[in-house]
Amino acid sequence: MTDKPGQMTPLQLRERDDIVLRIEHLSVNFRVGKQTVQAVSDLSLDVARGETLGLVGESGCGKSTVGRAIMQLPPPTSGKVLFKGQDLGLLSGEALRQTRTALQMIFQDPISSLNPRRKVRDIVAEGLQIWGRPGQQARVREVMEAVGLDPDAVADRRPHQFSGGQCQRICIARSLALDPDVLICDEPVSALDVSVQAQILNLLEDMKQRYQLTMVFVAHNLAVVRNVSDRVAVMYLGKLCEIGDTGSVYTRPAHPYTRALLASIPDMNPLSRHQQDGLPLLQGDLPSPANPPSGCRFRTRCPNAQPLCAEREPLMQAVQQIEQNETQAKAANVVSDHFVACHFPLFG
Amino acid sequence: MTPAELEEQPLLLDVRNLTIRLNSAAGLVHAVEDVSFVLREGQTLGIVGESGSGKSVMARSLLNLLPRRSVAQRQGSVVLSGREISALSERDLQKLRGAQVAMIFQDPMTALNPVLTICVQVSEPLQQHLGLSKPAARQRAIELLDAVGIPDAASRVDQYPHQLSGGMRQRVVIAIALACDPALLIADEPTTALDVTVQKQILDLLSRLQTQRRMGMLLITHDLGVVASRADYIAVMYAGRLVELAPATTLFSAMRHPYTEALFNSIPRITDPAHTRLQAIPGRPPQLHNPAPGCAFAPRCQYAQQRCHRETPPVVPSEPSVSSVVPVGQTQHVHACFFPVTRPITGGAN
Repeated sequence: MTDKPGQMTPLQLRERDDIVLRIEHLSVNFRVGKQTVQAVSDLSLDVARGETLGLVGESGCGKSTVGRAIMQLPPPTSGKVLFKGQDLGLLSGEALRQTRTALQMIFQDPISSLNPRRKVRDIVAEGLQIWGRPGQQARVREVMEAVGLDPDAVADRRPHQFSGGQCQRICIARSLALDPDVLICDEPVSALDVSVQAQILNLLEDMKQRYQLTMVFVAHNLAVVRNVSDRVAVMYLGKLCEIGDTGSVYTRPAHPYTRALLASIPDMNPLSRHQQDGLPLLQGDLPSPANPPSGCRFRTRCPNAQPLCAEREPLMQAVQQIEQNETQAKAANVVSDHFVACHFPLFG
Repeated sequence: MTPAELEEQPLLLDVRNLTIRLNSAAGLVHAVEDVSFVLREGQTLGIVGESGSGKSVMARSLLNLLPRRSVAQRQGSVVLSGREISALSERDLQKLRGAQVAMIFQDPMTALNPVLTICVQVSEPLQQHLGLSKPAARQRAIELLDAVGIPDAASRVDQYPHQLSGGMRQRVVIAIALACDPALLIADEPTTALDVTVQKQILDLLSRLQTQRRMGMLLITHDLGVVASRADYIAVMYAGRLVELAPATTLFSAMRHPYTEALFNSIPRITDPAHTRLQAIPGRPPQLHNPAPGCAFAPRCQYAQQRCHRETPPVVPSEPSVSSVVPVGQTQHVHACFFPVTRPITGGAN
């Protein structure tokens, strides 16, 4: 192994035929005044067909930037985004526009992502009109019915006549009109009321089944991410900390940051409050992304940090399965789907 | 404190039949309807509700903070430490605000003045209410910032809000709120704008300070998890009404109102496996102007019967053995529903 992560294929990338989206060594830099902020740094991950990848982390960790970089909004500073094997960064403007119809996005604030002056019918049909797809009327009706809106009742209304939850339904209908392969959801339920949130989460699951979608689900709410994701990726200050099967990451978090995140969630059981007080509390705030700590970026807040953490950046390593599964896994020659970037993982 | 000890504390806040109606372009908004509760010293009452449930309007009205012109009607009484709030002059209210009662708001950036240093903002209540001199107030401000966990408080005190992170700003807001050692702290969504790891720090800080100072706290939030872990009592609001109120442990083990149950069941659990189907509540929260007769939750309620659409259910004790009149000044389990949930909730606590 070398110490230059850019030189080799990251461990967490899978060699499978059904990989729809593959991100290799993605970095996104922003210029802020005279400084350069690395919002995403050398991030590699992939998403297989029909899979939902949850992307979690605190605000400013770069999770939304990853979602946008997949869409080439803006194109990444370095690294590749491969959609069905095609490097989106190499495509010309027109070819990129063509390809991008297969990647759709929904956003956090459903009301501001809809043009207030247009009717719902036109909002949903816009993509179809731009591309001159046949059977527009029927398609608009179909996707509106799919998301639970009655086309006859709402098609001629405008966004301000709808609640936040219904606007998110309109956004989902619009994103589905062009029959995309990949749906990128950037905090799709965080602006919604608790009682409406469950409706939209259930709807996204239904739409995923019905239209065979592959999803990237960006959110800060860990319970929501667990509910929708097959795999989950945890980010901290632009770096990927941990990635793997959702159940494995949530029940056996190997990165101290993941464990701290999970421990910070308020418990729904009032009787367990005294147990919570003993858990290690994450100290301090997020360091400035313009001047990230050397080595492991989490070390300044990590309860387990050692001198090595400041010297060398941790590489991704596989997290071993639970013992009883280990023998089975070895026998079946299955590699564990759980990786962590930490020198001293909680499960080595 | 044990529940029994909590019940013996002196009464701090007694809100009775509070009703607030606001003017709006669309008509009279029934923001708060007939809300009653008590809070004792050292207690935390969590108030849970979705946006538009009236929880923030209710909180602001306790200190007469609502814009005078927008309040069309205000009924009921708010008694704080034996004094009726609505009978106080603006001058007396001003003496109360920030001294006896302090408030923390959701967004720490907009709650702080961007062009004044932290020192000026933390010192203000100290000079106003306690009559401290400028140097003494500055010294006290540094101590307060230190107490709320701001590292290097002596140099931070001369910084401006934009130089601090969101979590640090909320700590400053808490320091201002605690400056005059209030008897009552009203925290309106104090951690909603913060990340989950910072949220835990702030909630831990509030619990610690509350225990030290024996403050009463109203913790207003939309997050059932936040109140579950922090409140002694929980009040659930829906469409301006208090639909259920109970000790925290009782509420989660024996909830009676269908809305409480539906809210509880609709939240994704961190312990549930991926792709667990959520029990969504159909429809959406009602509009508060010109409310229809009957229970506001009835259109979304799976147990609703004809009566629910005609009559508004009164708040009644949930314990069948207790008499049907809610005893004044006590906090017991109450709910407002004709057909309360009786079976134990499925799934159990997290």
